[in-house]
Amino acid sequence: MQTWTAASLPAADNVNPYAFCVDLQGEWFLRKGAMIAHYGSIRFEAVTTFTSARAWLAGRFSSPVYVQDWVVAEGAGKLLLADRGFDVNSYDLDEGNLTVRAHNLLGFAPTLELKQSIVPGFLTLLGTGTFLASSNGPVVFVEPPFRADPEALLGWADCPSPAVHHDHAWMAANMAGMLQGAMGRASGEERQYDFTGAGTVLLQSSEVVREDPALLQLVEQQTHGLTDAQAGQLGRRLVARAQQQ
Amino acid sequence: MGFEVVNSKVVRADVSPDRAVLARRGAMLGYSGDVVFRPVHGQGRGVGGAVGAALSRESVPMMATTGSGQVLYGFRGLHVTALDLDGRAPLFVEADRLLAHDADLQTSVQLIASGGVRGALRGAASGQGLFTTQVSGVGAVALLSHGGTFALEVGPGEVVGVDPQAYVGHVGALSVDLRARAGWRDAVGRGSGEAFQLHVTGSGTVYVQASEQKL
Repeated sequence: MQTWTAASLPAADNVNPYAFCVDLQGEWFLRKGAMIAHYGSIRFEAVTTFTSARAWLAGRFSSPVYVQDWVVAEGAGKLLLADRGFDVNSYDLDEGNLTVRAHNLLGFAPTLELKQSIVPGFLTLLGTGTFLASSNGPVVFVEPPFRADPEALLGWADCPSPAVHHDHAWMAANMAGMLQGAMGRASGEERQYDFTGAGTVLLQSSEVVREDPALLQLVEQQTHGLTDAQAGQLGRRLVARAQQQ
Repeated sequence: MGFEVVNSKVVRADVSPDRAVLARRGAMLGYSGDVVFRPVHGQGRGVGGAVGAALSRESVPMMATTGSGQVLYGFRGLHVTALDLDGRAPLFVEADRLLAHDADLQTSVQLIASGGVRGALRGAASGQGLFTTQVSGVGAVALLSHGGTFALEVGPGEVVGVDPQAYVGHVGALSVDLRARAGWRDAVGRGSGEAFQLHVTGSGTVYVQASEQKL
């Protein structure tokens, strides 16, 4: 069993498949709870507090929905990051873009710019620099054309945003199954993200989707387009759903 | 042709008009090519005969994958073990551990052990369920486990003891018996924690997972 010290810890490399060590000199964006240990003098501050002092950093993090979940680490030292025992991988972008599931993004260098993807629950990183993402099992890289299960999708790079594909054969067969009296539960197989064009799609073994605090805000933002009558209808449906539980 | 192991938690299957695959619902991670998924109700025999086995509690919702293309399968980050059955002996496994298998393979629900009261007791005590799924024929199977599996060879005259929670399945002419070694120490909570063991005898292979956590 190896015992690490501040000097022997790897600089910007994995300590084991589940933990990554960042050699911090300056600032890094981290997801809350991702830091498991650190050496050196490092201060952790909420992104909102920090960016009010440094205006240039505010422009790097343009996702108001996720800003509550993130902190800035500032100082010099070694930072160890991990997530639920998932595999942690680092990705180097060179004037590129990569979109990743918000839950699986652990941290990124402030040379990168963060934006919300138009696909809910995903964040896009732009520019040059390093970021860390976790995955349930090793990451599988595939090339489009490819259709991915939304729960297994980790992210995508250099290809157009996906379209949603509905499997008609599945829905028709499931309908028939329900008519026959058998159980017809939705398993997500009827809906996939369809990738086309040139690029790379990142997949993981599917995971149980966790409660996303940002999802409520995202949905709420979209209801602004509803008419009063539609909003009332939606409200009644939600009340009915809440009463069923 | 078996499943291609992509990594410890994902397998890739080539699907063609000659080869359909049955998989657990929700286990498809993604696919390329012209592939169609169809829900199958109950443990079927092949793609066509979907004989419901809902009463046996050994029923896990499955789906058939047909067409031509490549499909990735994985389930909730559980480890995947790919096996090739040569048709000489069936595989016995719990239905919820079946990730995917060739549609040509026959599956049927069996009462485990030699049945009777002992079998029922065994199932109840070990939490294994009273029924297990028998997979027979020639083809590929992918099993789910927690922490990965390893194979233990059992020869004539040998006995292998397996923790019921760590038991995944077995191939070959094996008999599996539950042995209880519960004494007064277990009653007062000072037992070894290994009061129940599965004793496997005969000749074949037992698959054991590296964890005592059930799926």
